[in-house]
Parts: sequence; structure tokens; C-alpha cells
Amino acid sequence: MKTYILTRIGLSIPMILIILTIVFFVLRVLPGNPVLAMLGPKAPPSVVKAMEHQMGLDKPILVQYFDYLKDIAHGNFGQSTVTGMPVLKELMQKFPATLELTIFAMIVAVFIGIFYGTLAAYKLGSPLDVSARIYSIFVYSFPVFWFGLMLQLIFGVWLHWLPVSGESSPFMTPDPTHTGLYVVDAIINGQWDVLKDSLEHLILPSLTLGIVISSIFVRMVRANVVLTLSQQFITAARARGVKEKTVLFRHALKNALPPILTIMGLQFALLLGGAVLTEVTFSWPGIGSYLVSRIHARDFTAIQGTIVFFAIFVAIISILVDVINAWINPRVRY
Amino acid sequence: MAVLSIKNLFIEYQTKSGTVKAVEDVSFDVEENESLGIVGESGCGKSTLGTAILRLLPQNAKITGKILLDGVNLLELDNESMRKIRGKDIAMIFQDPMTSLNPIMRVRDHFFELFKVHNPDMKKNEMIKIASEALESVGVDSKRLDNYPFEFSGGMRQRVMIALSIALKPKVLIADEPTTALDVVVQEQIMQVLKNLMKTKNMSIILITHDMGIVAEMAERVAVMYAGNLVELGEIHELYNNPLHPYTRMLLESIPNIKLDDMDLKFIPGSPPDLKNPPKGCKYYPRCPFAKDICKEKDPKTKKIGNRIVKCWLYGDENE
Repeated sequence: MKTYILTRIGLSIPMILIILTIVFFVLRVLPGNPVLAMLGPKAPPSVVKAMEHQMGLDKPILVQYFDYLKDIAHGNFGQSTVTGMPVLKELMQKFPATLELTIFAMIVAVFIGIFYGTLAAYKLGSPLDVSARIYSIFVYSFPVFWFGLMLQLIFGVWLHWLPVSGESSPFMTPDPTHTGLYVVDAIINGQWDVLKDSLEHLILPSLTLGIVISSIFVRMVRANVVLTLSQQFITAARARGVKEKTVLFRHALKNALPPILTIMGLQFALLLGGAVLTEVTFSWPGIGSYLVSRIHARDFTAIQGTIVFFAIFVAIISILVDVINAWINPRVRY
Repeated sequence: MAVLSIKNLFIEYQTKSGTVKAVEDVSFDVEENESLGIVGESGCGKSTLGTAILRLLPQNAKITGKILLDGVNLLELDNESMRKIRGKDIAMIFQDPMTSLNPIMRVRDHFFELFKVHNPDMKKNEMIKIASEALESVGVDSKRLDNYPFEFSGGMRQRVMIALSIALKPKVLIADEPTTALDVVVQEQIMQVLKNLMKTKNMSIILITHDMGIVAEMAERVAVMYAGNLVELGEIHELYNNPLHPYTRMLLESIPNIKLDDMDLKFIPGSPPDLKNPPKGCKYYPRCPFAKDICKEKDPKTKKIGNRIVKCWLYGDENE
């Protein structure tokens, strides 16, 4: 197991390197001069030259490339051209909000996906199964922002049950902060009113994201569980008197998990980036909103930093998924 | 006294294209400590019959009749009581050992699960002891409890399956083509394992196979099935030496014999009937060289001749 994990980590180093390289060269090839974007098109040439020198843009491209790799290896994602703050620091401030939203959306999606999908597979051809198939096609076609707006309209505007935007009400942030995740911090601090407020703010955005993503999970889980349920070891388990619930979850679902986990891991990573629409719809102060505002401001370093950040995060998640898979499935780890 | 008694069993599959009569009016007894072979070609209903005893047929199967285990009709039990019989009183091993074990569970956990299902209070060291004994009794080193199924060869997996099925000392073991997926050498080993078990354990075996050789080696009595019907049943030597039903006779003749060179391989012309639209009279009538007029019109009744059972118009009175 240890060798497997180490190998897997070793393998992702070239992967991350390739992503870094692509991000670097794509941003060089794209039209638009970051210096002009910063200083405006009418900046005098001498100022532009000085700025280019300061940013290292006058060096040969290969030198720039290796400087860039070295900086990232040192955790230096450059300075925002808008605020002058280190990009990594800005990202780390926004990241917990996104992570919190993503985790809750994943909980919603995984919960719906696993139970609805498994039961649909178990009752193949029943009304429940048909409803699962309709659900997944129907919900998958929802545009995220539209679905978010609908939930806001129903639960926020008409029913007044839940807040429609932001991560918390004014003066309702956990203090002191530990992880940056409001829910976790509120629990650590024992601030139950803050916890309630944070959860209320989380419900609509995480339901929006979670339900839309769950459509894929329901389909994936259903298809894979149908497949494992038809295998002989299922009949053999029943022939030994194993309870139906155990047959379904321990034997069928667990064997169906590897492909499902892989997709879930990828979705989790995609959610971090794909939460952009949800974050904007719900004014959620996460990385998605950050990225959108920096694209508007043509903040090249921040954009580059955010992409690299996502890329590394995706790589980490996929390592985690593989490790979990190996843990579940002995054939992978041997 | 019969440990398992099957009476007038009918099994139908409801399919989109019609009703398939997989088993029709089958009755027989399995005596204590006996090994009964069920033979027949593919699709004759022998596996359906075996699976029906454990009530593990798919939802679209309709079973009527009686399956009595020590006098209790299994078909009338609720699901929970039936579940408790599976693996404890009646166990089953399957055709393909490569896929009958859960690939992500250690062999040990298969045993533990079985024990926990039927006796939640069993202690861990007791479970290990019984599992080890079961494994050793089929010739597998008990150290291999910690292995995963994919670390075993096909023959070894079938041994593990057998060990699992006998661990709780069931009264009846149903072996559904236990050697079909294995090569002949391993086949022989598995048959030896089953034979040894029969000698040492107090257990009846129902051996479902299409291999007449294996039946001859293993079984004390044989039931021959054709198109869902039990056409003949008898003591093994009697039946092999003097087959009554034309189908049994032709089936035995079609076994290749290397001692007789110079002979073409015999076979039964034609193919089994479509069980959605079986012929009106005897199911074997279209392929039977001895067919009479009545065979076409009326399905023969099952007749008892001595301690044998045969279902054919060649025996008994046509006007009954």
C-alpha cells in the first residue's frame, strides 16, 4: 500500500509539470500584454520597459519558464497586478468558502447518487427506477444558475425560509477562525448561532450544485450496480443466507464503487472550478467569484495563479481517489 | 427418510415474448446422505430446479408445487425464514468459481460473514477454527484465509467455495455444474474433494451436470431431465446398464468411447423444443425413434417400475 501511494504521488509530479508548462505557454501565446493591461494603452514606452523589466518579461522565454517553475515550487504564485497582494495569499483567503460549498454540494450529490442509484438498480424496471432515469436526464439539463435562481425565488423570495446570498449574515462570522470553514470553525468555537446562520446560507447554494451534480451520480451508480448485481458472487452471497441489505450495499455497491469514485473525484475537482456560476449566483465569496472579478480586471498573474492552483488541487484529489480505490479494491494495490 | 422432497414442481418464467415452462411436474426425493445426479442438456431446466430449491430464481419465475425440507414446505416460508435456511441447511456451489467469490473480500471475511449471518454470537477464534477446518477438509492451507479470491487459481477457488458451503454442515449441498468451468485434471481433483466430503460428512449432494461421466463417478441415483420434464430416475448402475427412456438410451450412446475405434460419434438428431411452445404430447416425441401415435397426442404420465421412475408411453398402458 505504501509503495502504491508513493508511486502514485511520484507519477503525478510529471502530470503537474505538464499542466504548469501548458498554463505558462498558453498565457504567453494569448493576445494581450499584461503590462499594457496594467498600465493602460497610453503608458509611455519607458515606463512599459521598466515594468517589463521589473516583472522579468524582458528575459528569454526559457529563463522566464524556469523562474516561474522555481517560484511555484517555492509557493510563490506572483503578485496580483490589481491589488499587489501575493496571489497565493488571496487564493487561500477565498479557498475555504469554495471548499465548504463544494464539500456540502458533494455530500448532497453523493447522498442522492448512492441511495437513489443503488435502489433504482435494485428495483430494476420498477417505477422507482424509471423515476431515477427521468430525474437524471431532467436535472442534468438544468443550467446551474437558472436552478439557483429558482431556488432563491422559491425559498428566499416567496417563502422567506432561507437567505439567498452570501456566506453569512453581518456579524455572524466565527471568531476566532481556525480552518476558514465557517461551519467547522463555529463548531470548534461552540458558536451555535453562527453555525445555524452558516448552515442556512449553505443550504441553497449546496443544494443547487449538489442536485445538478447528483444527476450524473445517480446514472453512474445505477449502471454500475446493475452490472455487479448480475454477477454470480451476488447469487452466491444470497445462497449463503446473507441479508439483502448487505448483499446490496456490501457486495454490489462496494464492487461498483471504483468507477463511481473516480468520477466523483473528478467531479469534486471540477466543482471547485465549476462552482463559478453558483458562487456568482449566490454572491458566495469563493475562488469562483474571485476568478470572475480578476478576469474582468485582466489580472494575468491572478488568473494564472488560480488555474495553477486548480490544477494542483485536481492532481491531489485524483491521488486521493486512487488511494481510496486501492484501499477498497485489493486488486489495485497488489 | 427423505431429507428433501420435491413434489409436483412447476416453474414458469414470464418473459415479454411469452411464458417459458422451464420445469414441469417434477417430483423426486433426496435421501439422507445420498448423492443424486441431475443430468440433461443445456436448457432442460436442471439449473432452474437447483436454484429453485434455494428460492433464488429471478423475480419473473413462478414456482408452484412443494419443496419439503424435513417436512417443511420451503415455498410457504416467509423470506426471512428462507434466508436462514440458505447456507445453513441447504448450501450451493456454482458453475464458475472465478466469479462466485466477492473479489474485494478476503476469504476469511466470506467465512465470517456466513457465520455472523447464522450465528451472531459466534466468537472470533471459533470462527477462525471452523473456517480453517473447512478449508483443510477440502485441501486448502488454512493460512490462505487471509488471501483474496484473485490470489487463487480456478480449482482452488472452487475448493474455497466448497469449504464455504460445507462450513455450517448443511443437510443438502446443491452443486450446480461444479466442474464445468475447470480443466479435466482440476475437475478430477474437485470430484475427489466432493467424494471425500460425502464419506466424512453427513450430507446429501444434488449434483447438477451435463457430464454423464461425472455422474457415473459421483452419484448413487440419477435423474434425467429433458425439456423441463423428469423423464427417468433410477439407481446409477441400473440406469446406465438398462436405460428405459429412449432419451436416456441415446444420451448414453452419444458418450464417446475410445475403446471402440471405427465408429462414428453417435448423437441425437434435432434439438430440444422451444419451451414457450412445447409440443402437445411427449416433449421428446419429435426426436424419438420409437415414437408412436399417442406420443404426439398425449403427454405420458410418470410411472414407477420397481424402484425406477420413467415417463414414456413405451411403458404401461396407453388407455390408463
